[in-house]
Formats: sequence, structure tokens, C-alpha cells
Amino acid sequence: MPLVEIEGLRVSFRQYGGRVDAVRNVSFSVNEGESVGIVGESGSGKSVSCSALLRLLPATAEIEAAKLRLDGVDVLKANKEDLARLRGRSAAMIFQDPMTAFDPVFTIGHQIAETIQAHRKIGKREALAEAEQLLLRVEIKNAADVLGYYPHQLSGGMLQRAMIAMALSCRPKILIADEPTTALDVTIQAQILQLIKKVQAEFGMALIMITHDLGVIAETVDRVVVMYGGEIMEEGPVTEIFEAPKHDYTKALLASLHSRFEPSKGDPDALAPALELRGLAKSYSTRRRRGFRVTHGEFQAVQAVDVVLPRNRIVALVGESGSGKTTTGLMAMRLTEPSKGQIIVDGTDISRLDTAALIPFRKRMQIVFQDSYSALDPMMTLTQIIAEPLHIHGIGTPREQSEKALKWLERVGLARSFGSRYPHELSGGQRQRVAIARALILEPTVLVADEPTSALDVTVKAQIINLLKDLQAELGLSILFISHDLSTVKSLTDSVVVMYRGRVIEEAPTERLFADPRHPYTRALLDAIPATNPREKRERTFLSADDIRARTPRYTVIQTGSAPSPDPQLVTVAPGHRVEAIVTT
Amino acid sequence: MFAHILRRILSVAFTFIVVSIIIFSMMHAVPGGPFDANDMPVSEAVRAKMMAQWGLDQPLHVQYLNYMWGVLHLDFGVPFQSPGETVVELISRAWVPSLILGGSGVLIGAPLGILLGMAAALNRNTWIDYFASTLATFGLTIPVFVTSMLLILIFAVWLNWLPASGWPQPNRWILPIACYAAIPLATYARYTRSAVLDTLNRPFVTVLRAKGLSERRIIFQHVMRNSAIPLVTVFLPMFIGTATGSIFVEAMFRVPGLGAYFVSSIEVRDYTLQMALMLLITFMYCLAYLLSDIAYALLNPRIRVGGAE
Repeated sequence: MPLVEIEGLRVSFRQYGGRVDAVRNVSFSVNEGESVGIVGESGSGKSVSCSALLRLLPATAEIEAAKLRLDGVDVLKANKEDLARLRGRSAAMIFQDPMTAFDPVFTIGHQIAETIQAHRKIGKREALAEAEQLLLRVEIKNAADVLGYYPHQLSGGMLQRAMIAMALSCRPKILIADEPTTALDVTIQAQILQLIKKVQAEFGMALIMITHDLGVIAETVDRVVVMYGGEIMEEGPVTEIFEAPKHDYTKALLASLHSRFEPSKGDPDALAPALELRGLAKSYSTRRRRGFRVTHGEFQAVQAVDVVLPRNRIVALVGESGSGKTTTGLMAMRLTEPSKGQIIVDGTDISRLDTAALIPFRKRMQIVFQDSYSALDPMMTLTQIIAEPLHIHGIGTPREQSEKALKWLERVGLARSFGSRYPHELSGGQRQRVAIARALILEPTVLVADEPTSALDVTVKAQIINLLKDLQAELGLSILFISHDLSTVKSLTDSVVVMYRGRVIEEAPTERLFADPRHPYTRALLDAIPATNPREKRERTFLSADDIRARTPRYTVIQTGSAPSPDPQLVTVAPGHRVEAIVTT
Repeated sequence: MFAHILRRILSVAFTFIVVSIIIFSMMHAVPGGPFDANDMPVSEAVRAKMMAQWGLDQPLHVQYLNYMWGVLHLDFGVPFQSPGETVVELISRAWVPSLILGGSGVLIGAPLGILLGMAAALNRNTWIDYFASTLATFGLTIPVFVTSMLLILIFAVWLNWLPASGWPQPNRWILPIACYAAIPLATYARYTRSAVLDTLNRPFVTVLRAKGLSERRIIFQHVMRNSAIPLVTVFLPMFIGTATGSIFVEAMFRVPGLGAYFVSSIEVRDYTLQMALMLLITFMYCLAYLLSDIAYALLNPRIRVGGAE
């Protein structure tokens, strides 16, 4: 008998003015030990289906099903005791954002131990001892310390490991992972996925992997269920879905995985780049209190970064969270004040200009942010939002301004009739189009795009990338594209700058960087990209920060022409390819 | 943690001193004094002698320091309204009824409000929620003198169950306590409702459910503890506000409490009592905020344990 049996599942939510179906006619089953992936974009009903299986939906949800069984129990008829047994013991769940998934006021140890104690009669001391063993099994080395830590003292990756340990605590028969790596960096994502596979094998569990990322699917599961708009589009073995997709939506998803790269058109004009950052650095002074002693220190968020953005080109700034990439982007716009260094726009250093002198340069540089929802004023219509830059810079009459705004709406692929709408009426992708229109209406020469696609679904992401690419060619834009998503970078940008701990550690034309990475961190980053085909999935080894430092490349003076130094420096190893290395005689 | 508390104590002490300076200066900014010509027609020499005797001829900052030195020894002087006793004696006599009535009001009202707020949040959009919201709105919008008149009308006049006013028999306490309880009850019901709803919407609650914890444990251990964090910051300050007596309630129920003295000491320019009352309230508020800060830090590990490793 299958572990999970779902037949004819329908979930609807009561809302003002009726019921809205979130999931319709969904049927699938999972056998013991099997790995099943559910893939679909946000709102496709993938999470709702699995939450219904554990009855975790809010009271406004109505669930109907011909069959909804978990571990032999009819979930719809389950009473309190049945539910408590199903949750945690038959099926355990891990969630998207580990930072918010733990109760902030209790220690990690307490939260794992209470899970064990909820299901077994066992003393607190023994439960804590078991929790420590579990933390060791998810490869947390200082498990005994972590037991006493509060959630805010751990990083996202560590918390997700602890979350997995907690899920394992009652030896569930099935592990439901709801976007477990979406909030994490690429390298951490690869580690967590590998860990999930490892513990699945060790504990002999079944796995449901809910994700919007086909790469995650390729890495982890045997069978795939594709969902769209609350319904199942198709279902089959993972290789079949990847190699012979039947449904159009699946085909579109796969196409986004294999987007082709085309170099940007237009003359790069090597002599006069659109934007040049010279030795740009940002440090924050820190105050640490130990008792009454206050020690002052300096935190180097960005250390003397040199970046050149040629005209008509798209340059990627890549790195994990905390690497300083966003700070660099904001400094380039003078939205964060740099501590040192120069920002050269069209030959002028704008790093020391005062507010008034900066205004003409503001017109030439614009920015698009990751979260389009908070980037748009909710009280303004789209026309007002897009026309606002014109208003600020006093360009044209109000009538001309709105006319131009409406033209831009069309240019970014939205109908003119959208002009009177408000941001909350739009989808994420549509909002990002509005943000792009607002940024480009002044016809800037430089656009800083700070993770503009990371909050979007795969298919929408591809559309936004295409839009950016088209507009770049039409307007002769230069784009600084900040991202942690290497697959997007590969299909969009001309060259890549890799940042690590506030430093640039490698820089090369995109194709060259992906083909011949020199720095161990770049290699780790590229290695962590999920496979695009289930046949390519593999075991990975992960480097610690110490490993990366120990493996810093070494070159001789003759190879690079740079002066020897025991400290790492950026050296040129090929035209346009620089890497941080130690130069020896 | 110890250093954190000590820092808070120092900052509270500083606040108290600043407020005392402001109050002292305001007192002296108002024209008129005890030995003014129309109040006390005596010769210039006698007046000067009296001024010197009471230290009133000295510069203001010396007077302030003298005064504060006295305050430090709990010597607030003699109230002009009742020269037979010291300010401290008057306050300790008059404060007892206010403290009993106001204190019980908060101690009864706050827990009831918390329970009501929780019940409302856990049964959102049901009649319980609507009832709690209605009650809270009434409690917050109807002024206490109207509430007290209503209570007197219903329980003393119509039903004739309780005496309308007076002191000191405990059955006369019931109506004023009910009056005092209304505001903390309403405020707490509203705060608790929104704090609990906020907590319930946080992702970790779903995680707790998915772990198979009982709903009771989730509510009473996790949700309560998290919701308590924003609540502790309002509890003590509200306690002080009520426990120092309300002019209206004490007047309505003819309670010989502290409330009346706030008004009378201004009317008759009773400097010593006025200063003492204001400093007392300032001190109580400072203490209340200090204690809530400490409670907040104890409940919230982000403050207690500090940042990431």
C-alpha cells in the first residue's frame, strides 16, 4: 500500500464573496522510500496539496477528496491524536525560510527535544542527548554548543540543518521538503540538498520535494509531478519529464533552464567606459560591548573594489549573501556613501559631489531592486509611478509625462490600460516590468539591477531577462547585474565579476569564466549549480573557508608580470581574465 | 546581562534628574512666592531675614541642590495645606486608598484583558472576537466618570446591591475597582489580540504544528511567550498610571485618595506637595520602564544573549 495516497483532492479558500479553488482534482501517490518532486510556480498549489496532507491549512480552507491517506490513516477523518501521530512521526516537514521556522525565544536543543517528547515518553535529559546525536548526523560539528544556541545565533544554512535534524527526530516515514533551499545561497543549497539525499537513504524515508527549481528536481528525485494553476499537468519518471516533456508548461519550464547566451550588441568603446569603480571600499565602525568595555573595530564590507562597466555591455556582480555585491552596487549609485575610492561616470568622479551637483548624474544612472512590491509606492498609480522621475527632473508638461509613461508601459510589455492600476493589482513579474520602466524612462546610460529576477518564478524570470536584453540593445544601456543566480548570469551577461568576503576574487568574460575558472571559490560556486539534467547529478565535495584560502592559486612573476608578494593580489592570467592569486618569484 | 541592567539603571537615573530639573525650574518660572507682599505684608528686613532663614535668597541652582539633598533623605518639607504633618506622611496616608483601588483595578483588569484578547485572537471572526472588540472599544472610548456614574446608577441606585461611595469598608471598594479595571482590561484585550494574531501568523507556528505538538502546548508555551514580549512594555507603565489614583474616580466615589491632592496643591500653590507628587510619579514611571526593560530583555533572547557568533 502506498505511503501517501491522494485522489481527487480539492482545496478551496473562503474569501469575501465566495470560494476560490487553490487545488483541483489532484491525485498522486508516494510509495515507501520513493522520492517524488512537485514542481510548479508560486500559486500552482504545490504547497497547498502537501499542507492538506498534514491538515496544516488555515481554518478558511475547505478540503474535499475522494481519498486522502497518509500511512494508512484517512487524514480527513483523523482526530486530534491521529493528527499528532501523523505530524512528526509519519511525516515530517521542512520549510523554506529556516530563519523564521524556529521559535526565536527557545533554544535549538529545547525545540528538538520537545518534538521528541511530544511523540515518546522520555525525559528531557535523554531527549537532549538524542537531539545532540541528531545534530551530529546532519553534520553540525559543534552539536553540543548548538543545542544551547538560540535561532538568531546561527546562519541560515546551519538552521536548515538543525531543521532537518528536528524533522528526523521521530524517524518519519516520509520527509516533505517545501522549497528547503530557496532562501539559501547556491553553495549552501548544494550542501543542504546533498544532506537531504544522504539522510533519506540512511533513514530509509520517502521524500516529497516541493520546488519551483527544476535543477533541485534533477538533483533529488525519481518521479516528478508538474503542477500549474492548481492542477497536475503531467507526471512521470524524472528522466522522462526532462527528456520527453509532453505538456507545454513543462516544455516552457525546461526551455528556461537551457536559455542560450548571445553577446550584447554595440561598441563597447574600451577607452571610455560607462561606469568605472576605482578602489571603492566601504567600512563600518563596529562597537562591541563586553560588560562595560566597549571595543571599537572596523568591519570591511567591501575592500577596494575595481570594476569597469563598458558601454553597451552587461557585467555581472556575483557572490553569496554578505559578499558585498549589493553594497558595491549601491555605492556605485551613491545610494550608500563609499568610505574610499572613486566612481567615474562619463569621465567625472562623482564620489565626492554634493547633492545638487549629483542631480544631473542621477539621471544617467538608475536602479531596479529585487523586491518589486516594496520598491513601488502602493498609493500611486502605475502612470504616476513611471512618470515620477520625469516630474522630479522637470522634464516635459504633466500631459507629456503621462503620455511618455504610457508609452513605456507598452515598451515593457504591459497594456496602456494598466496605467490607472495600483501595484497590488499586478503580479510579481508585472511589477518588475513597471520598476524597469520607471528606471529607464529617463534614458539612463547605466542601470544597476540588484537581483531583479530572484523573487520571480522561472518562466517569468526568463521573460524579464529577455526584456532586459532587448532594452539593453535598443537603448545602448550598460547594466551592472547583481545576482547570486549563476544560471541567469550565464544567459544574460557579457562578463562576470566574482566577489567573496568583500573582495573581487575573479573577473572574466562569461564564457571563459564558466569554462576555465581559476579561483577555488569560483570553482565551488560553479560546482554548486544544480544539474540541468537528472543524468548529470553527482556527489559533491564542499570547501570550507580555510580550504579556499589554502587553495589560493599561485603564479610566478614571469607568468603574470606582477610583483611578488605573500598577500593575494589580482593578477591578469589572460585578456580580460583576472584572478586573486599569490605571486611568487 | 548584568551590564545591560546597570546601563539601564544609569540612563533611568539620568532621566529622573533631568525631569526633576525641569519641574523645579517650572515651579520657579511661575510668578509669586510664599513671602510676596500681598500674601505677607511684613517689613523688608523681616522678609529678607525669612528668605535667608529658608534659603530662598540663594541662587536657584543651590536651592535645587538643597532640595534634592532633602529628597534623597525623603525630606520633601511640609505641605502648606496641612502643616501638621510632613509631605511624606501626607502621601503615605493618602496613597493607601489610591494604591488599593487602582492597584487592584490593574491586577484584575490586566489578566482579564489578556484572557479576553487571547480568546478573541484564537476565535477570530466569531462572536467571541466581536464581543471582545466591542467591550474593548467601549472601555477605551467611554470616559471613567461616565462609567462610574453608570455603575453607581445600576448597582447602587437601581439594584441597590452595593453602596454608592465612601471609605473604608471593603464593600465600598468594588465599584471604584471595577471602574479602574475597565481601562487596563480594554487596552490589554486589544494589545493581546493583535500580539497573539501576529504570532499565530508567523511561520514557526506552522512548523510547531507540523512537528505534532498539541495545540494547547503551542498556544500556552510558544505563542504566549512570544506575544508576551510586546506586552510587558505596556504593563508596568499602565500600572503606575492607574495606581497613583484618578481624580475623577476618587471624586465620584468620595475616596480620600491621592487624586484630589493633585488638583488642590495646584490651586493653593502648595509647592512642596506639588513637587513631591510630580517627582513621585516621575520616579514611579522611571522604575516601571526600568523593570519592563529588564523583563523584556529576560523574555527576548536576542537582547539577553546578544548577536550571532
